Amino acid sequence: MKAPRGIFTRILFFVLVVAVALLVISPVYFMLIMSLGDPEETFATQHPDYIISHLDFAQPGDRDYTDTSWDRILPRWWSRVVLEPAAGGVRLDADLASRLFKSLRVAFMTAGISLLLGIPGAYAISRLAPNLKYGLMLGLFLTRMYPEVGIALPVAVTFLKWDRILTGIKFYDSAFGLELVMAHLIITLPLSTWILVGTFDTIPRELEEAASVDGASRLGTIFRIIIPLAAPGIAVATIFSWLASWDEVTYAIYLTLFNRTLPLEIVNIVGRSPPPVIATYATLVTIPVVFITYFLQRWLKAGYLAGAIKG
Amino acid sequence: METSVEMKRPLVRFRWAAIRDFFRRYWFELVLLAPLFIYVLGFTLLPVIQNIVLSFQEPYLGGGFPSLESYVALFSKYRFFESLQNTIAIALISVSLEMLAGLGVALMLSREFRGRGLFRAIMLLPMGIPTVVAATNMRYIFSSSGYLNEVLYDLSNVLVKLGIAGESYQGLSFLQEPLALFAVAISDMWKVTPLVMLILLAGLEAIPRDLYEAAEVDGASTWQRFTQITLPLLRPAITSAVIIRGIDAFRIFVHPLALGVSGQVPVLASFAYSEYQDVHLTTSAAASSILLVMILIAVIAYLRLVGAREVIE
Repeated sequence: MKAPRGIFTRILFFVLVVAVALLVISPVYFMLIMSLGDPEETFATQHPDYIISHLDFAQPGDRDYTDTSWDRILPRWWSRVVLEPAAGGVRLDADLASRLFKSLRVAFMTAGISLLLGIPGAYAISRLAPNLKYGLMLGLFLTRMYPEVGIALPVAVTFLKWDRILTGIKFYDSAFGLELVMAHLIITLPLSTWILVGTFDTIPRELEEAASVDGASRLGTIFRIIIPLAAPGIAVATIFSWLASWDEVTYAIYLTLFNRTLPLEIVNIVGRSPPPVIATYATLVTIPVVFITYFLQRWLKAGYLAGAIKG
Repeated sequence: METSVEMKRPLVRFRWAAIRDFFRRYWFELVLLAPLFIYVLGFTLLPVIQNIVLSFQEPYLGGGFPSLESYVALFSKYRFFESLQNTIAIALISVSLEMLAGLGVALMLSREFRGRGLFRAIMLLPMGIPTVVAATNMRYIFSSSGYLNEVLYDLSNVLVKLGIAGESYQGLSFLQEPLALFAVAISDMWKVTPLVMLILLAGLEAIPRDLYEAAEVDGASTWQRFTQITLPLLRPAITSAVIIRGIDAFRIFVHPLALGVSGQVPVLASFAYSEYQDVHLTTSAAASSILLVMILIAVIAYLRLVGAREVIE
């Protein structure tokens, strides 16, 4: 549509754009100043400031002060969350590290396995007879209707049962995170399959037929023709699976006890830790997401997003 | 009689042949599909069935199977009804807010203006913020000495200076009842409005431009063009956005938890979780089964209301 006409409408439109943008940005902005700034300005006051006057570094005499170069780089709350004293200085906080690495491990494994099962599955669905294809897609969508708390309960019971029967492998509350990978696949498999079916549908069958005339096997055709052509859709499916797993809390609550993930740790400390600590954790959880979406945003084109939305 | 038997025979034979042909034709696809299919059966469908079976079990170890005891126990709990009400209220509030805001932003983005790319990027920002973070961030805004109260306080001071208001604003507890309900809905709204906006924007972009030009030639006002062209043609997009968001809104769980208000504003999912924590497994299973029934009823009722055909695409 055309740009709004008339000077008065244009000013009104501009004001509206700025106001909406500010509303959307403000929660993230407040999180950042809460984690970087002086609590005297942001939360330990009846009237918090909108802008912080300085970064709040740890000072000699603070409980957390360790007197390393990190104390001059990391604001107070960051050094409290990220570092812990160790022989000869500081190191990455052990609790944080285990949670961070569990979250990362689970997210990458979930995204990988989603592709491993999703690519062949989605290719097959996209090449099946239309009725069957429609039924399967609807079935995958329907899995979203069941509340996660209802699926997580029997899954938790099953894992506890397996732990009693099987020795040598741990499911419930494992340090490695296998239980969460298996649970997150419940969310990411339908999601990535939806995106991938949309992608494979756009690749004309004539290409495959031409390849088979040239003597390529069907499996060879998939690897050499279909997958390279579907690369953007596969990338989007990977990103969405990764993000869904990184974001996930419900299954983590049901399936872990001590080996928590990073988002679950935030839920756990809400109401117990001072707001700047929560804000710092929140920023930490957000950073990898920002990186991933930034580096992969060229794949995020509207056409593929449409498929993702429907999932 | 004889004719009917003779009629049936070839039919049966034909079906067998059809199944055989089907496998012959699609064996490769079926092999590829098998791992995905088996996983979804075993790890989504089976747990769902287990959960429903569990909800009909007597609430002690080795209890008899078909029993309504858990449901009876559920309906005798005041907290269950409270969470039922809250779930419905939050779903209604958040979905309507999201649809309004999503439509508004989509309409803004469908126009051309300077800085549209930047505006679009900002609007999509919440999609990249984890749900837990979205909810904890709202605490800094909604807490009693938070930023919303501060903004309202500053505004009231301006009004006092202008002589419009008598005294400055004293502050509200947004994370206490009854406002906590809205805090949860707004937290959810902030996180998912971009999704609604993208669905509606795709719908808007599919509306042919000439329709608007023809209407303009005929002298239709902006409002008439909106109500006569945009809204009717946007209906499929609106319907799918409402369905997708409605399902998720009924299942809301993380937002109240991370806002720290799940004690005050229990929803069905958090009720099921607290029953699980108390090792009332059958009651928890019954609560989530009821949530499923609610979602089914809501989706079917909505589809009846708007006509199912347009959603199928």
